[in-house]
Amino acid sequence: MNGFSVALLVFSGLLFGAYSIAVLEQLITLGLRHLGVALVSPLAEAAALLRQENLVPRGADSLLFRSSPFVALTAVALAALVIPLGPGLFGFDPSIGLFYFIVVLGPFVIAMMNAGWSQNAKEGLFGAFRAAAHLLSYEVPLGFAAIGPVMAAESLSTVRIIEAQAGLWYGVWQPLGFAIYLVSALFMTYRRPFDIPQAGSELEGGVLAEYAGPRLLLFSAALRAIFFLLSAMGVVLFLGGWHGPLLPGSIWFLAKTFALAAFLLWIGRFLPRLRHDQMLSLAWKGLLPASLINVALVGILILIRQGGGS
Amino acid sequence: MIGKTEASGPGRVDGWLTRLAGYKRRYLAVDGGGGGRLLAGLSTMSGGLRRVFSPRHAELLLIFEPVSHKLAPSIVELYQAMPQPRRALGVGEPGPDRFPHADLVRLEDLLPGLERISDSPGGPRQIEQRMRTLPLRPDQVSSKPEFVETTIPVPGKQEREIATEPVVLSLGPIQSLTAGPLRLLLTCDGEQVVSAQTEAGYAARNVAYAMTQACGPEVARLASLLDPLAPIAGRIAYVQALEQLQRQEPDLVFRQQREAALALERAQNHVRWLIGFAELLADDRLTVAARQLDAPLVDASTAFWEPSPTEWIVPQGSPVLVRSGRHKDSLARLATEICALRSRLERNRVLALRTAGIGVLSVHLLRAAGVSGPTLYASERGRGDVLGRLLTRLDEAAADLRQVAASASTFRSVEGREAVWSAPSGKAEVTVAGPRGQIGLSLASHGEGPGQVTWRRPSTALLSLIPELLAGQKLADAEVIVASLDLAMAEADG
Repeated sequence: MNGFSVALLVFSGLLFGAYSIAVLEQLITLGLRHLGVALVSPLAEAAALLRQENLVPRGADSLLFRSSPFVALTAVALAALVIPLGPGLFGFDPSIGLFYFIVVLGPFVIAMMNAGWSQNAKEGLFGAFRAAAHLLSYEVPLGFAAIGPVMAAESLSTVRIIEAQAGLWYGVWQPLGFAIYLVSALFMTYRRPFDIPQAGSELEGGVLAEYAGPRLLLFSAALRAIFFLLSAMGVVLFLGGWHGPLLPGSIWFLAKTFALAAFLLWIGRFLPRLRHDQMLSLAWKGLLPASLINVALVGILILIRQGGGS
Repeated sequence: MIGKTEASGPGRVDGWLTRLAGYKRRYLAVDGGGGGRLLAGLSTMSGGLRRVFSPRHAELLLIFEPVSHKLAPSIVELYQAMPQPRRALGVGEPGPDRFPHADLVRLEDLLPGLERISDSPGGPRQIEQRMRTLPLRPDQVSSKPEFVETTIPVPGKQEREIATEPVVLSLGPIQSLTAGPLRLLLTCDGEQVVSAQTEAGYAARNVAYAMTQACGPEVARLASLLDPLAPIAGRIAYVQALEQLQRQEPDLVFRQQREAALALERAQNHVRWLIGFAELLADDRLTVAARQLDAPLVDASTAFWEPSPTEWIVPQGSPVLVRSGRHKDSLARLATEICALRSRLERNRVLALRTAGIGVLSVHLLRAAGVSGPTLYASERGRGDVLGRLLTRLDEAAADLRQVAASASTFRSVEGREAVWSAPSGKAEVTVAGPRGQIGLSLASHGEGPGQVTWRRPSTALLSLIPELLAGQKLADAEVIVASLDLAMAEADG
């Protein structure tokens, strides 16, 4: 398969993922009885945004404003390359796959901050500051939470991490790391209760306040795609990836990814939106120490296992 | 907010894309003061509508009448900021027709392509259907009314530690924190609110003056419009004032029925407020719980009275038989459910993170400002913070429903008398317990109808507390605090 085909496949997969997340959002809000509405709503919104004019606010930093949605979507698409949907079903498998994933997703947050800053509006600026505070909150705990599976698999390769879970999923014996990863994923994707950079009524949409039409559609797609992607990475790191009985591996992988995404969306319904300082407190006083403890625990468990085997 | 068009998008639209887009509409709501009930009802509609808060994200502008000259420039600015194709939909009778003595504008003059639903007997459902079928189109707004921007001085840089530059954030006048328009000017140092100012008057309709220019039942109708969210309270206040002038005491049965009607209205208001508050907190579970209370409460309240209270709340009795109490069991059950919800919320530590300990109001301050109702009770019974006001409103709603359910068994059908609308010479003072506090009415008559009308409005007293209340708070808390006061701007502006 040549590079173009891979890129096309990954991009199509991401769009499908973004659409599926939008459907899941609707289903969780409206209930299963409204399946028809849930399936049509995202398409209708996309159609409405596609036919709207593309506005650039007066006084905006044109280059940053225009480029931000593309940067966000590109970052997500590049990160998606290392997600293995099944045995042999991945864009590429570098030996530093997980590291690549985390690093390549960095520009996504930069795109969000640029989007807020470039609008020449106070609401967007506040949203950008909040997005920056977000970045500080989740990046370190997310990295530490991901170290557990890396230590266990003794590899940064996403494929190797999945293969190492053929017997027992890491989520089973690293529940703390899994929980920290899930909370950090909610942080990173600006999902409730951590969606204050996009606070609806207070900042009129925050970083996205001035975006309209196709660019807003691109941003919405990128936000949903990254949520899909982080759910998929959660499956890679903690839920055994494609492993599962009877059904083909890729079916298992997608089923687990959607189940995890639905769980995260459902959890968000139980919690009111947190203030930025509360989020920072949670991240630095709760998640960071817990993630360090998790690394130590995983190390001890690996030592015990190795000691038992020798 | 105004931007430039980059591409001629609408011209390239295919027919199927247009049809598909019609399944989901994103709307921006502007409540001129009279749309609180319909807007709350609209938020309970699931599926095809989505409320947004940035004009850039909206394709429909939903405007609830009346619209004052002061509010008009903001509406035009919002509409101009919306991407094309777009459409504006007005709800309600044109303001100038309803309140000829007020400084109101005709929406058609502001937005030439405006579509209007003058009367909405179908309620939110009818508006939803109209919104979903209304064709969008590219258009231009020819002119914009003169707009005098409010500016406030920004404090200088603080050079002692880290150099910071305060910014003034203008929330409103169109926002979702209050029922009706209010501009909040927050001077912020980062996320910290340094000082706050309010700018009201956007929903002024001059109801008191209009009442002096009308006669007979029309005055009562105008009184019921003082607070569109609590029409019964305004109507009862006027009817009681008239009876005081006439030196007539209504029958005990009618007094009880009026009290019950007031209590039902208060309970409905508290539950409706809870829906909006939960949406503001982005707490889906609380929103769903509030909506599950609202729907049966509206049904039970509507069916409770036959005919509706506006027909039998008249001076000196009722012209028709009143049958009530058919739904007292469901009201009692709803009261129990509200109590259960209250218990759950009291134990909810995550909710407390966002609502406890912020926006604390002391009893002394509230009494000095003339505040009454749930806001005062919350401070009298507890700490007087946002969480306290939330729990107190639920307590009040449950108590009101229990009171109605208990008193309903004593109601009996009474052969009514003809209403007497004359206003003999004299002066009357009455107070009625509305959802936001005590509504006072002072009525002076020279024998030919109301000569002088003065309202004491609970929202006005609450409004005066906002600057002191918000100073020093976090920006994210500011909106939660303002929303917790349950301000009805139509009532505050009069």
